[in-house]
Amino acid sequence: MTHAVRYAAAIVATLTLVGVAAAHVTPPVVLVSDRDVLAGSLAGAQRLFVREVRLTPAERQAIQKQTGWTPDEDFYRFYIGRDAQGRPVAATIFLTEYTVHGPVRVAVALGPDGKVKGATVVELTEETYPWMRPLLDPQARFVAANLSKGLDSMGQFYGQIVASLIQRAALLYDVGVLKRGDSA
Amino acid sequence: MFGFYLRNLPLSGKVFCTLFLVGIGCGCIAAFTQAATAVGVSPAEVEVSLSPEMPMMQMHHGQMSAEKEITLADVSAAAKVWIRTPLLIQTSHTHLFGQTLIAGLLGLIFLFASVREGTKALIVALPFVGTLLDISGMWLTRFVWPPLSVLVIIGGSLFALGYVLVAFISLWQLWLTKEARP
Repeated sequence: MTHAVRYAAAIVATLTLVGVAAAHVTPPVVLVSDRDVLAGSLAGAQRLFVREVRLTPAERQAIQKQTGWTPDEDFYRFYIGRDAQGRPVAATIFLTEYTVHGPVRVAVALGPDGKVKGATVVELTEETYPWMRPLLDPQARFVAANLSKGLDSMGQFYGQIVASLIQRAALLYDVGVLKRGDSA
Repeated sequence: MFGFYLRNLPLSGKVFCTLFLVGIGCGCIAAFTQAATAVGVSPAEVEVSLSPEMPMMQMHHGQMSAEKEITLADVSAAAKVWIRTPLLIQTSHTHLFGQTLIAGLLGLIFLFASVREGTKALIVALPFVGTLLDISGMWLTRFVWPPLSVLVIIGGSLFALGYVLVAFISLWQLWLTKEARP
């Protein structure tokens, strides 16, 4: 019987470890597809273009100086909506921040002049979703005004994450497209 | 094993093993559903989720930008998870710990089954091998060759097969066999 008791004790101890391990798993949650985001953010455009941009070392350094963030992707992809004459009317870029609770992926909509028109949280995790939910409308669009409405500290933290992604998107468009004179 | 067999366990031991196997079975179904909805369970879907983001245009050396016209139909309409390296690291560490511990507990129960030693060794190994193939397949898909996504499917299937064999034989011997055979 002593063996059986030891056997049961070993199982209980191991089950505890399984519980601890399982508690770490935070499945990703995709709130909206890329296509649906673009259909909304580029509404009004008659033609859709994809532009991929590689940053020069000087451009990366310029962004790093302004934000403290160093762009490290090999390339950045913009979706640009144009009118019938080929003039840009809107642009969208998808950016991701990797937090300790998992990735937060945001689509940032920009005007042809680089002004931010809005942002949609595309993907986060089950753990971060409850913190982020007060900052989103039913279409998962980021409502910056809610940042000042008595959010808890985690809501504030993730609100700042989205805000910094929006800032990065605007800078990337400014440096990688507008300043190069490539938008026309 | 030590003269103990599943058939001879006291009632409390049988209830414990049964509920554990049932609980893990429910967990496997939930995990499969989650994988099917978030990523997909075909090699092609796994490959899309795991392979690195490739440029849509071929930029030659020194070219700093390129643009081409597309349609919305060229953009993914699926609300699927795209697993990048930091998420792969997170997924690997949680699943390697979690699945290996589950495989260990399944094996621990199965050690007390009365089955031929060679068969027992093979069945006990299945969930462990499945876990290793599953996770290593993810890394190989991302960094070596995208079609190796098939390893993820094979690994998951081996884990499931191991669980089904362990659960079926164990439950059978816990409740339905009359005598334990060494």
